[in-house]
Amino acid sequence: MGDIVELRGIRKSYDRFVAVDNLSLAIRAGGVYGLLGPNGAGKTSTIRMMIGITMPDEGEVRLFGEQFHRGLLHRVGYLPEERGLYKRMKVLDHLVLLGALHNLSEQEARKRSLAWCERMQLSEWTNKKVEELSKGMQQKIQFIAALLHDPELVIMDEPFAGLDPANSVMLKDILIELKKAGKTILFSTHRMDQVERLCDSICLIDHGHAILEGDLKKIKASYGKNHVQMQYEGDPRLESCEFVQSFNNYGNYVEVRLKPGADAQQLLRLAVDRARISRFELLEPSLEEIFIDQVGKHA
Amino acid sequence: MRNVWLLIQREYLERVRSRSFVIFTLLMPAFMAGTVLVPEKIEQMNAGGEKRIVVVANDPQLAAAVGRELSAAKPKAELGLETEEELKPTVYSIQVDADTSDAEGDRLRQQVSNGQITGFLWLTDSALEEHKVIYSTKEAADFGQSVEIRNAVRTAVTKQRLSQKGMNEPEIDTMLTPIKLKTLRIENGREGTSGTMVFFTAFAMVMLLYSVVLIYGIAVMRSVIEEKNTRILEVLLSAVTPRQLLAGKILGVGAVGLTQIVIWVTFAILFSVPGLLASRSFLGEVHIPVEGMIAFAIFFLLGYLLYSSMYAAIGSMVNTDHEAQQMQWPAMVPLVMGVVLMNFVIQHPNSPLAFWLSIVPFFAPILMLVRILVAQPPLWQIALCMAIMVATVYGLLALASRIYRVGILMYGKRPTLPELRRWLRYAG
Repeated sequence: MGDIVELRGIRKSYDRFVAVDNLSLAIRAGGVYGLLGPNGAGKTSTIRMMIGITMPDEGEVRLFGEQFHRGLLHRVGYLPEERGLYKRMKVLDHLVLLGALHNLSEQEARKRSLAWCERMQLSEWTNKKVEELSKGMQQKIQFIAALLHDPELVIMDEPFAGLDPANSVMLKDILIELKKAGKTILFSTHRMDQVERLCDSICLIDHGHAILEGDLKKIKASYGKNHVQMQYEGDPRLESCEFVQSFNNYGNYVEVRLKPGADAQQLLRLAVDRARISRFELLEPSLEEIFIDQVGKHA
Repeated sequence: MRNVWLLIQREYLERVRSRSFVIFTLLMPAFMAGTVLVPEKIEQMNAGGEKRIVVVANDPQLAAAVGRELSAAKPKAELGLETEEELKPTVYSIQVDADTSDAEGDRLRQQVSNGQITGFLWLTDSALEEHKVIYSTKEAADFGQSVEIRNAVRTAVTKQRLSQKGMNEPEIDTMLTPIKLKTLRIENGREGTSGTMVFFTAFAMVMLLYSVVLIYGIAVMRSVIEEKNTRILEVLLSAVTPRQLLAGKILGVGAVGLTQIVIWVTFAILFSVPGLLASRSFLGEVHIPVEGMIAFAIFFLLGYLLYSSMYAAIGSMVNTDHEAQQMQWPAMVPLVMGVVLMNFVIQHPNSPLAFWLSIVPFFAPILMLVRILVAQPPLWQIALCMAIMVATVYGLLALASRIYRVGILMYGKRPTLPELRRWLRYAG
């Protein structure tokens, strides 16, 4: 299977502010893709161009191997960051409307809505008005709305923002289920921990540029294991060592980050000479550190 | 197309099913009927009361004559507001007072104040010489009463003077019989509807058009703001284009307005036909103005599209109803101005100024409609006016959809004019 989403050198500016600048990325079929970056990095602008809510000033958007056209949108499910519902509509009517706008027949939309509502324990609420529902229930309705037409590609902008813990877990389960069913999922977030847990591939965006893109495992591997957690008795005085980038004492253990190119064995030899080591473990860098490192490089 | 249809349906059903629509639709005719019927009923109930009036005059014969004229007066007859139903005449009890001293005046004033008499008429010789007669009463605002008294005094004085010139009574009565004037409108070369009828029809239709365009234009604006605030728009935008959204909204809300008009007009016809048939005698030939209704339908649709597209653009630029109120003058001012200018156009429907005003697209729904209803302007003028309106509506819709497209995704501060110009240039 080819690329589900391909962006080629897209650029979008509002007045003098450049939101997205010469951004290219490719999302392969299947799997979870994380669009990562701090607030204001251009994630939402990128997503909006992906589904034709706005058009890029330059560059090309391709979906499912075709040049973007609106007909393709019925294969995409979208959950925007700013999401809401018509307050005075009944839950079922509302879902049927949104399904019908995605080309489902009203009958089919009704059938699927009822099935989803049952699964989400909303069956008693289908004839209530949206405004009578709690915020958590409304969030569930919004998930259903994005998935009702069984899209091949699911795009979610900051899906976890503002969710209560229960819904957060439920959304994660749904995403994993969709992944198992062979769907492609793209979500944006500024929270690195979610990406580490869920994503297969990522794109790091900062100031409208893609600064790092690809398979998450490969990216981490390419950074090497330059991170050490250790426990010891005595004081090895590693803070002042010339190949240590940073040193954090957490009380029970310390965390040491090595300078690029430094060898962990050197650190071990030094530490053994000076103190009594009870644990010495090499770790992959966290995404957060990679991010900070990359942003620092490009700043 | 299916999407637009779905959006129209949603908009229409939600509004038509709402309690406020039902209440408003039913209450409005009741209110209108109330404003017409209730004062009339009250007047009928109050009429027939006794009015005690003292006529102060040097000439007791003249005073008695005034009393006779007052008692014979036919209520409202001289007001021009003829009604088929005769009101019960007011019973006047007249007291003639020959004491014209200032002290007597003061005494009578006292009596008016404590309600012993309704009023007194200062009909002294000196007052007659100055052609200035004063009627003093607490009920000075009773317009009908003053007119009746004025007429009675005039007739009595005229009769007395004529008889002093040697005329006998039958001669005088013949001379004083008033001549009634009835204005008829020439339609297609024949006399048709009476002028009064034309005026009231035109006025009612224009006010209906004005209020429905205004109410539903504002409804479009508020609905856009509400969609912005509930953050539903971006959810919809993954399935429909902003243009479809805008079309669905304007057409859906417009259909609600149309439904309301149809209900009201049906009400009006059902209730007014018996009355109109009964009052044929003074309204002239009553006929349903078919051309007028077609013109109304066309100008309502064009006017609604024109103003609602402006309101939609305004709604997409702001975030709160409060902000919208400050921003809605570009749509409000021309609409209200149209109504203000209507008075002039109704009086001079064929003047060059009326022509130029009525082809201005923002005034046209009101002013051209008025001209069609009262004066049958040449066909080319109507055609020209409609062509200009269609072009303007097309342009405004294009402009509004560009503003809307950008505006609905913008939260926060509303745009300045240069920013707005840039919005129009965005690729999308």
